[in-house]
Amino acid sequence: MSTTTVPRFVRADGPDKVTGSGRYTADLTLTGTLVAKFKYAEVSHARIVRLDVSAARAIPGVFAVLTQDDVPDVRFGPFVQDRTLFARDVVRFEGEIVAAVAAIDVPTAQRALNAIVVEYAPLPVVNDIEEALASDSPLVHEGWSQYGAADVLVRERNDASFASIAKGDVERGLAEADTVVHSRYVADGCHAAPIEPRAVVAQWEGNKVTIWTTTQVPFDARAGVCETLEMPASRVRIIVPHLGGGFGGKCGFHYEAHVAALAKATKRPVRLVFSRREEFIAPDRRREGIVFDFETGVKADGTIVARKVWLAIDNGAYTADAGFFSQLAAMHALGPYQVPNALAEAHLVYTNHQPSGSVRAPTAPQTCWALESHTDEVAKAIGMDPVAFRIKNAVATGKEGPSGQVYDEIGLVDCIEAATARAGYGDDLPDDEAIGVAIGWWPSFSAASGAYVKIDGDGSGQIITGAQECGTGAVMTLRQLVADELGMQPEDFELVYQDTSAAPYDMGATGSQTLFNNGRAAIAAAGQIAEQLKQLAADMLEASPADIVLADGAASVAGTPSRSVPIAELAGIAAGGELLIGHGSGVPPTVQEVSGAMCIGDVGMTAWVAPQFSCHAVRVKLDKDTGVARVLHVSTAHDSGTIINRIGATGQVEGGVMMGIGQALTEGTRYNDEGQQRNAALLEYKLQTCADAPPIDIHFVEINTPNAGPRGAKGLAEAPNVATAAAIANAIAKIAGTPIRQLPMTAERVWETMNTEGSPA
Amino acid sequence: MSFTIATTIDEALQALATGARPVAGGSDLVVGARHGKAPLPEHLVAIDRISELQCIDVTDLGVCIGAGVNHHIIEHHPLLSNAFAGLSDGSALVGSPSTRNVGTLGGNVMNSSPAMDTGSPLMVLGAEAELRSLRGSRRVGMADLWTGPGRHSAEADELCVAIHIAMPASRSNSAYLRLEYRRSMEIAVVGAAAAVTIADDGSVSAVRVALTAVAPTIIEVTGIGLGSVAEVAAAAAAAASEQARPISDVRASDKYRRHTVGVMARRAVEAAARRALGEPVSVPVNRAAGIGAAS
Repeated sequence: MSTTTVPRFVRADGPDKVTGSGRYTADLTLTGTLVAKFKYAEVSHARIVRLDVSAARAIPGVFAVLTQDDVPDVRFGPFVQDRTLFARDVVRFEGEIVAAVAAIDVPTAQRALNAIVVEYAPLPVVNDIEEALASDSPLVHEGWSQYGAADVLVRERNDASFASIAKGDVERGLAEADTVVHSRYVADGCHAAPIEPRAVVAQWEGNKVTIWTTTQVPFDARAGVCETLEMPASRVRIIVPHLGGGFGGKCGFHYEAHVAALAKATKRPVRLVFSRREEFIAPDRRREGIVFDFETGVKADGTIVARKVWLAIDNGAYTADAGFFSQLAAMHALGPYQVPNALAEAHLVYTNHQPSGSVRAPTAPQTCWALESHTDEVAKAIGMDPVAFRIKNAVATGKEGPSGQVYDEIGLVDCIEAATARAGYGDDLPDDEAIGVAIGWWPSFSAASGAYVKIDGDGSGQIITGAQECGTGAVMTLRQLVADELGMQPEDFELVYQDTSAAPYDMGATGSQTLFNNGRAAIAAAGQIAEQLKQLAADMLEASPADIVLADGAASVAGTPSRSVPIAELAGIAAGGELLIGHGSGVPPTVQEVSGAMCIGDVGMTAWVAPQFSCHAVRVKLDKDTGVARVLHVSTAHDSGTIINRIGATGQVEGGVMMGIGQALTEGTRYNDEGQQRNAALLEYKLQTCADAPPIDIHFVEINTPNAGPRGAKGLAEAPNVATAAAIANAIAKIAGTPIRQLPMTAERVWETMNTEGSPA
Repeated sequence: MSFTIATTIDEALQALATGARPVAGGSDLVVGARHGKAPLPEHLVAIDRISELQCIDVTDLGVCIGAGVNHHIIEHHPLLSNAFAGLSDGSALVGSPSTRNVGTLGGNVMNSSPAMDTGSPLMVLGAEAELRSLRGSRRVGMADLWTGPGRHSAEADELCVAIHIAMPASRSNSAYLRLEYRRSMEIAVVGAAAAVTIADDGSVSAVRVALTAVAPTIIEVTGIGLGSVAEVAAAAAAAASEQARPISDVRASDKYRRHTVGVMARRAVEAAARRALGEPVSVPVNRAAGIGAAS
């Protein structure tokens, strides 16, 4: 294997996206396509007492109006089967779909929605996470105990998933501490907010359906269609055109079945395109609000002896993929620290809000924000520098983490030292500026994954992969891996994705797993072709296959470069005989079992394969008169293992940091008293813009990681989003003299905090 | 539905007289229609190709800015950004680069939003809108033009063709600041403009302050006493907070708006005074003052 030495990254999808020639799902038009629109509940909790679609069906130009009566009566959900395609009897959040319309054009579809008669009997709205856990709270799901659910989940009334991690004796640890610090924090929910709103196009031919859709996880979307419409996988084909961002929000199964059902009922292709408001209100993927309560006990020398955490996560009305959030949040709440006595208890709580689901590093940024704010409080309480405090207590190679996992080679302390040094931590700053520091962690996810590689007779190749590109560049990087394996150039390969009927399985653009797993698959597939090429070259050059080297587009005899044949020539020979086709999957790395901790509700999140670590040090300027915080500079250091594609990796860190700045300062969902979103629009839900971007210094701590992905790579897409908001919080707290206890730390909240809790001066 | 492209003001006035509504950059009209604020008018007349609306005429007495001049031009125009710096401050903050290249001064004025960024600068500069129809022409001061959120006193057949501003006295200048949560695609949470004249002894001999997004229209602050710059800035802050009539909404509470509009008023007076004394304070003041500034 040779390695592409020049750091470069030619995105195969770049020119199409930049010039506008690329096609996105909403661009697709098939002959006779109808328009789909959904009728939403609009109210947060009510019983449907009357639903009459007859007038809507009678409107000329309306081809179908569907309700739950028109589809198989299936409850679905990956962890708790608590949902149906359309509301049945009860609506539980404002974006719940009551009916779907297919019509000749948008105005006709809108008239049909208006003609649907729905009468509701109001039910009490569960609008507060903590109140939902009270024994006398109204239930979001009266029939929760009858639902099918994953066996490991611990459920009770509005608590859809309780998890705990217990190690040592936390009460004794707290009793033996010299200082115990108690903190409470509240994080509001927020959104993935991809710039491309969701779109789905479905068309039937016979008993098979093809669905073009904006999903990050095509095979998961296919599984959802199969489950809800009761079809075998072989009759459902999912194709993803260019995807305009996802950030986790487009994970899971969304509306593919609704549109397929409309297309079947109308015998016409049907297209759904979301408005921005729908994008905010309807999907069961938004970042979860969480309430936190921390107690940490430390010795006078700064050694952590015990940590006790209670937290409650806003599950929203349905569980979607959030079933594992409680244990994952418990891990993040204990943090990448050596904690001999630990107890974390986490609840995933039903409310009448939009359902939560995986958004870029689910539970991590807000839990890191709370824990790391608390950590600065602890350091301050014992008069210790917060960076020194972290270095003293952070997990390190050979040390045991809070769940009992003992870590192989890891670079967290290196990250802390690099990020703070590069930020100029400790230098004098004006009194309205400060540098805040936070550390974070995130697992890599090991999973089955597949790819094919073929080289055609002209020497050009194709990588046919089950992986999905959502903008991270991970799929794009497959060209580099395959080219390196075959001694060719990335540009020699076209990528074919995503088509569930053409490519083998991959989990999709989720869990930062694409390169980690599909890279392994693509290398394995290329390796099969390499063997074929070496055999062909050996025959031609009269050498042993073991002596053939593939480099610079040619197969040569090792040590005798003059005995060489171009790979394109070998491909031409193969085209007349045994074709150059490789398939690969490889064996996913496995993680050691942990011992030493007791886990209730164990979904397998307490021991992480190839864990990633990060430290962000952020310089903030605070306008004390208004509470407006500005991020002046971000210094990042990441241990994500070997960096294969440096330009792509840099882009991931920049994007993660900008998302983190938004979460820190401006992005948060506001609910009214009825559980409805008040800022479901891009003017009032404020993403950061290019004009807001500060200089971002990016440093990778590349540790030789055992048991990781290709070439020692870990994941990367989610990790850069974990620690930014926390670092900003610690900078603001230094300037304001007190932490801001609610996320996002809006200007008004900062100003209120400074003026009610009393800042020093 | 009809769409007429006018190349002269008279053609535009003819269209307005038969019920058409004008469109220049479309940055309020189209966005408003998409968000269901108001449907697109049945009949539109495009005024963006009327060269008479694109002029910036400067005389010793003042400046006449055509209604079709866009914000990008106002931000960067050498005379405007020096002598009428507060107006350039406002234009420089509108929307995004693309919005500033299509959005016009006339459109901003006639959209009549209480959060418009050019509103309070125009008010403290004593600007007048020239309204023309087939029936004739008239000039209206800003206080008389804006009557409520999205409402103004122009008749349906009147077109705003220009904004007239008298040349400021010597040792005078203006500034506009807004509270913003991000640097682009933002709308003023609150804002304030000040126009200040500095006497030979360094004290403030004249001051006007107007406020953005704290009442149904842009409002002018009254009763600010004269004195040193610091005294006038403090008085302006107090008067602004006292006279503001803000609402609470998802952007900010009334209490926070009332406080921060005072901060903006104080900073606007200070920046205008520095400019009046010839100190370079770059446009927009928001960046120069470090509000929303990353560097």
